[in-house]
Amino acid sequence: MAAVAPTRAEVLSLFRSLLRTARQFSDYNIREYTRRRAADAFRENRALSDAPAAAAAFVDGKKQLEVAKRQAVVYSLYAPKAKNIMEMKLQ
Amino acid sequence: MALSRRLLPLLRRGGCLSASASPARALSMAAVPADADQEEAVTVKGVRISGRPLYMDMQATTPVDPRVLDAMLPFYLSRYGNPHSRTHLYGWESDAAVEEARARVASLVGADPREIFFTSGATECNNIAVKGVMRFYRDRRRHVITTQTEHKCVLDSCRYLQQEGFEVTYLPVRPDGLVDVAQLADAIRPDTGLVSVMAVNNEIGVVQPLEEIGRICREKGVPFHTDAAQALGKIPIDVNQMGIGLMSLSAHKIYGPKGVGALYLRRRPRIRVEPQMSGGGQERGIRSGTVPTPLVVGFGAACEIAAKEMDYDHRRATTLQKRLLDGIRGQVDDVVINGSMEHRYPGNLNLSFAYVEGESLLMGLKEVAVSSGSACTSASLEPSYVLRALGVEEDMAHTSIRFGIGRFTTEEEVDRATELTVHQVKKLRDMSPLYEMAKAGIDIKSIQWAQH
Repeated sequence: MAAVAPTRAEVLSLFRSLLRTARQFSDYNIREYTRRRAADAFRENRALSDAPAAAAAFVDGKKQLEVAKRQAVVYSLYAPKAKNIMEMKLQ
Repeated sequence: MALSRRLLPLLRRGGCLSASASPARALSMAAVPADADQEEAVTVKGVRISGRPLYMDMQATTPVDPRVLDAMLPFYLSRYGNPHSRTHLYGWESDAAVEEARARVASLVGADPREIFFTSGATECNNIAVKGVMRFYRDRRRHVITTQTEHKCVLDSCRYLQQEGFEVTYLPVRPDGLVDVAQLADAIRPDTGLVSVMAVNNEIGVVQPLEEIGRICREKGVPFHTDAAQALGKIPIDVNQMGIGLMSLSAHKIYGPKGVGALYLRRRPRIRVEPQMSGGGQERGIRSGTVPTPLVVGFGAACEIAAKEMDYDHRRATTLQKRLLDGIRGQVDDVVINGSMEHRYPGNLNLSFAYVEGESLLMGLKEVAVSSGSACTSASLEPSYVLRALGVEEDMAHTSIRFGIGRFTTEEEVDRATELTVHQVKKLRDMSPLYEMAKAGIDIKSIQWAQH
């Protein structure tokens, strides 16, 4: 497969998809982690200058998005009735 | 992978708060708990908590990473073959997955895949390592060296060997939790068959000097075993650099599934063990029994993720630990850290709060899932033997709390844990006559308590 670096639009679209999928996790910790990890990874990889490395990172990102989409469904199917303390208003 | 049209409405509903609403619940076949039916609160053992506690007990176990679960699920759904079935696709694909997982585990510790043997967990590995090695070399080697802060399974295996006639030296540790390497070198005898020192302690988080110990063991020709259950994926491990001969690994401490672990057994020079499980000779005869493919695949995935995320997770854990410690110490005094701060894995913080009774502190901290100093010996109220080995006084050992910070811990959770802990400690100290006396300058130890 040709190692073509992704365009800016593609990268932004992937990032937005990851953040959107993160919001769909019913588990507080996984939701926060997905959001934070995606943001940190994209920030770190912004500096990647050579095309093959950027292409590889983009492909990896897309794989992670697929995993996240599947798992968001699985987690919501088995979400516990009681919410996490962190999701409730402070008493 | 395209999502089925049926499931799209679930996603369109969006947001986290409605995920526990009935449409999602209706698709699940899991049993609904009898009590908390319509209420949001949880009532267990007579205690009512408003929601699920925030989890800060990473040393006890860790949540399964969604990426790990994603790797495991196909092996519960369609690829359910036995990896030892040689005659059909189900067996072949299962075996291929097991071997791929083995390579991932091996690469995380710098080993060859042929040196990794899957077991049911670190406890089984410790049993094989301690009993298996000594029994194999029982004619020439009669002595084992270990430390007083090892995990119960190692200590219990050593006690078992003592009953069989072997001799065991339980090395003391310094007050900071580290073993004295010179003392260890002195303790080695010509008939020493094994030195067992854990890499990262589960109670206090102290990291032992593995390279130095490995070097000494290599010089003296004694196999070096380390229980690396808490260390795997958290600190870099290289079995060759550290001179490790045997190593116990556990999956559920690195965001993998419970019920699986691996034993590293060196090939050059070859270390032999007597198998503890008799059977069909799986895992090269070291551990018989069907290798649980989904669990092993999960373990491999967890190791692969750990290899990529080790630096990131370590940096985060360091930052969060500092935040927790500064937050607590900034608001209460007389807080003691158990174990060395320099040689520590940052995700484990064991604190003792003076003038506070341990059980009542834990009772008030029901919204934070933490563990106390006597967790591993939890049947009795005996204070932890690890803290006792550090020289921590009984009353301080009783009030110890172990905070575990992990990959999924957030800053908000750390802040909330700080707030709840400080609140509870202050409340208990306000009620404590001992604290009043200490603040007035009276030395508690000099008091002659009257007998009635």
